[in-house]
Amino acid sequence: MSDVQVRESRGKSKNTKKKKRRLGIRIDMTPMVDIAFLLLTFFMLTTTMSKPQTMEINLPPGESQVEVAASNLITLRITENFTIYWNVGSEKPEKIKFVELAKLLGTKSKANPRLITLIKVDRKAKYVTMVDIIDELNINNITRFSLAPMTDDDKKLIEKI
Amino acid sequence: MAKRVGIAMDMTPMVDVGFLLLTFFMLTTQFKPEEAVDVTLPESHSVIKLPDVDVATILVSKNGELFLGFDSQIMRGNIFGAENMMKSGIEVTVRELGGLLTKARMKNPKLRTVIKSDKDAEFGLIEDVMKILQEVNVTRFNLVTNTEK
Repeated sequence: MSDVQVRESRGKSKNTKKKKRRLGIRIDMTPMVDIAFLLLTFFMLTTTMSKPQTMEINLPPGESQVEVAASNLITLRITENFTIYWNVGSEKPEKIKFVELAKLLGTKSKANPRLITLIKVDRKAKYVTMVDIIDELNINNITRFSLAPMTDDDKKLIEKI
Repeated sequence: MAKRVGIAMDMTPMVDVGFLLLTFFMLTTQFKPEEAVDVTLPESHSVIKLPDVDVATILVSKNGELFLGFDSQIMRGNIFGAENMMKSGIEVTVRELGGLLTKARMKNPKLRTVIKSDKDAEFGLIEDVMKILQEVNVTRFNLVTNTEK
């Protein structure tokens, strides 16, 4: 009897132990980790951190007319083929290369701090032309500029050169 | 022959970091909104970032088509009607542009106007657009560019 009892108790304890014991679950995580790294690579490669930049432009409101002395006005005329002509006031326009533009504007604005740059771009020119010119002005800290339409008179003026 | 030793490394930290990064990239990724047309932006040295919200985009394609778009769906629904709500922008004519912009600005006074134009677009069209902006008193606007390398 005693023997049996002992056995029984042993058996019981074994049983309870079995119920309570957590099964060590081993799952092969390799495929999951593989997928995770695949996704990680995908997101890392597709993410573009940089947002597009913008250039700010301020136009004078509507009908306002600002009188500017001719000597304070430098006009840049840009033709369809990206040839740049410049003149101060009513002087004769001169041709200038794009790379030299910054230097010219720098010296001119240093000599006359009240200088206003007037940009006239041909309607047939490309948009990138205007952006390049304005960018060049921005780099050189010339904030006083304005855009004006290129008239036929302007075209005639630069055609002669 | 040298006996190979079975190397067992604990990969747990690496996997942890992997998942952390994965979560980060998944949450920060913003998929590029589909544009009405593809434009190649000009490059500039400007450092001003494009704002995220309250933006009205005037898209000018290479062939001279104009599209107007807003970042918020509600705005698009308001201006273009509910059926065009899901489109990022709809084609407009130069003449309509002023009216639509005025309407949009009345709905949301904080609206900022940006011009997103292809670099090969004709300047004449941009000039017209800028003239209209001036007429409807949008005197401050932005031109979207890429950073020059």
